[in-house]
Amino acid sequence: MTPILTIEGLTKSFGSNRILRGVDFEVFPSDVVAIIGASGSGKTTLLRCIDLLEEFEAGEIRLDGEELGYRTAPGGRRVRLPGRQLARQRAKIAMVFQSYNLFPHLTALGNVMIGLTRVQHRPKAEARAIAETWLDRVGLAERRNHHPSALSGGQQQRVAIARALAMEPRLLLLDEVTSALDPELVQEVLLTIRRLAEAGTTMLIVTHEMRFARQVSTRTVFMDQGAIVEQGPPEAIFGAPKTRRLAEFLTNVSH
Amino acid sequence: MQSFLSVLELSWGLLLRGLGLTIAISAAAVLAGAAVGTLIGPVLTYGGRIASFPFRVFVDVVRGTPVLVLILASYYMPAGFGIGLGPIEAGVLALSVFCASHVGETLRGALIAIPPTQLDAGRSIGLTFPKMLFFVLLPQALRQIAPNFVNTAVEIVKASSLLSAIGVGELLLTTQEIVGRTFMTMEFYALAGALYLAVNLTIGAGGWWVERRFRAQ
Ligand SMILES: Nc1ncnc2c1ncn2[C@@H]1O[C@H](COP(=O)(O)OP(=O)(O)O)[C@@H](O)[C@H]1O
Ligand SMILES: [Mg+2]
Repeated sequence: MTPILTIEGLTKSFGSNRILRGVDFEVFPSDVVAIIGASGSGKTTLLRCIDLLEEFEAGEIRLDGEELGYRTAPGGRRVRLPGRQLARQRAKIAMVFQSYNLFPHLTALGNVMIGLTRVQHRPKAEARAIAETWLDRVGLAERRNHHPSALSGGQQQRVAIARALAMEPRLLLLDEVTSALDPELVQEVLLTIRRLAEAGTTMLIVTHEMRFARQVSTRTVFMDQGAIVEQGPPEAIFGAPKTRRLAEFLTNVSH
Repeated sequence: MQSFLSVLELSWGLLLRGLGLTIAISAAAVLAGAAVGTLIGPVLTYGGRIASFPFRVFVDVVRGTPVLVLILASYYMPAGFGIGLGPIEAGVLALSVFCASHVGETLRGALIAIPPTQLDAGRSIGLTFPKMLFFVLLPQALRQIAPNFVNTAVEIVKASSLLSAIGVGELLLTTQEIVGRTFMTMEFYALAGALYLAVNLTIGAGGWWVERRFRAQ
């Protein structure tokens, strides 16, 4: 099988602070990869690099074989792609953020439609039909004409998931999508994600919900200090950690 | 002695023309200023130091200058470069510049208040920056500055009375001329005041109506 996403030697610093130290990584179709690790280990930064929201100084990210974010100029210099190219590549990857980031001036439907009409240039009626289908799938058909301010956090996050998936991305990135939610709203969002996983959506999930990571992922990746320390099937990662750092991390989060 | 009403009967045509000119000049300045200000705001916000510098200077200079000075400068300075502007054109220019700098600056304030996380969300979907500006950022920011914009429009109507200084026959100058001929100072200045007030109340009501519609959406 050929991978959808390939990452090689990804290195990223903020100023003199090295955040990602040579991350290598592959994602195959229908993979559900859970990324776990302590706060500050670089999980968010990794997702943001993949979605081209951050520049990075070394390494390569490929989506279906196409290098993302950079091209090599004659003479071997690495050049950031112009905005239009970045936008075209970003449209193939969708990201859902911890803080939902819905557009407050648009209704739920408007939020899901904007990418369909303005990026994919679909006719309005078609975009509307697609958006309604996705809102229905996340259980929000009734709320489609509400603005974000009239929705609960869990509902907003499900709109954000619908907005991401309506674009039919090759890859869905989820960054701690339940962390900002009240405890009683977490399950509805996790259930939505679980359904997507069962439907074969290729996903990278950064999460602090260890039980969820274990249940939903086909592969679990443990990051520490900007590097992947261990990865494998969830039973192995959670049941038989090979490194001391992972064992310590699991002990800490279970307390 | 003539009565106020008989004088009014003879001069109401003049007054209406003055009022019409006040409204036309103000409307032109508000529209042009809003359009230019809507371009300036994003450049000030996202243009980076180099691109935004000339606009920063423009906005600060205009906002730091009395409107009367702007009007006199618009009337007398272009002539120095061989450009002849009539008093009305110069007046529209000065008030447009005034409006543009105010709209540009308040728009910048509204744009920087939009959390950068929204830019992330827009980028992630694949919106290019111009599309993001057009469909995400400006709709929010313009809505945000609408009340302030109504104030600016009212300021411009009031400031248009200063155009009497360069001989534009707007409402104030027309009133002065009638007063000069009839010496009915109180009556006609009160009438002019009432007309200015009526225009500005209309603008305020319009703004209120637009805002209510936005909120209903
Ligand atoms: N925009 C930024 N500027 C400077 N440092 C940052 C920025 N974003 C993240 N960092 C730093 O990068 C490190 C990794 O952050 P992050 O990727 O958010 O970790 P995680 O998601 O695993 O908690 C942290 O030390 C954080 O302070
Ligand atoms: Mg994070």
